[in-house]
Amino acid sequence: MTIDVGTSIPPWEMPSVDPQRMKTMAAILRDPYPIHWDSSVGQALGLGDRVVNQGPLNLSYIVNMLIAWQGPTCVRRLQVGFGAPVLDHDAVTAVGEVTGIETVDGEQRATCAVRLERNGVAVVTGTAVVALRTE
Amino acid sequence: MHHVDEQEMLALVGHRFPGGTRTIEHWENWLLTDCTGAGQPPEDLVHPVALFHVPIQGAGTSIAELFALGQVEGVAAVGLDSYDWEYFQPLRENIEYRFDGGVIEVERCHSDTGQVYDRFVFSIELSDSTGAPVARITNHWRLRR
Repeated sequence: MTIDVGTSIPPWEMPSVDPQRMKTMAAILRDPYPIHWDSSVGQALGLGDRVVNQGPLNLSYIVNMLIAWQGPTCVRRLQVGFGAPVLDHDAVTAVGEVTGIETVDGEQRATCAVRLERNGVAVVTGTAVVALRTE
Repeated sequence: MHHVDEQEMLALVGHRFPGGTRTIEHWENWLLTDCTGAGQPPEDLVHPVALFHVPIQGAGTSIAELFALGQVEGVAAVGLDSYDWEYFQPLRENIEYRFDGGVIEVERCHSDTGQVYDRFVFSIELSDSTGAPVARITNHWRLRR
């Protein structure tokens, strides 16, 4: 399949953000921030009994989309900004499209506009540079 | 509201982390990848999202120490503004990487709603045993006051 400016990247879906994974992630990160694992903190913030997904996990869904598209070593650069928090049991979808193609050091790379969306609204937005598979 | 002296924050620019070396073990990569919902990567490749915690820990600091450095108090006091992560080589398990970095920018800001926050930016570089660059991260955090 030819990849060119305007090509859409196949979306990657996380149908329900799992709070148990947030706890494991907090341990891996050694993250003391309780909004990721203590729902009583969420109540104090008006989030009900919900917890907030880690920013790196939100970004990881975009990375998973890129890897599924162009392979496990494809990512060259990620520049992303974070908007609204993602909460446990949210359904989110990573989407993106190619905005440029260039050759760097003999490698064909695609610059992509990427987003993580919840109900069609972006919660993470940014740019990814991806090395394209050689045919 | 937690008052933090602006000059104390601005003085953090140039602060260097201790630096050091670190490897990424298989169990850590496996659990990290599992948290993302992805299938496990082939061979010894590390999930790219490891570039959040591995540089912080490898540079000899921690999220808790960064919060303390930024004089963070209270829940919801830290927000993520943006990340800029560059990959010069794929990350692999059981390779000893070198980490060096520090605080590169601090700016006292006001949000659209008038809330005071400090934009806190740190950068860490990863290199391999030959000194070749492996990756570089620049993270922008929002420390709310």
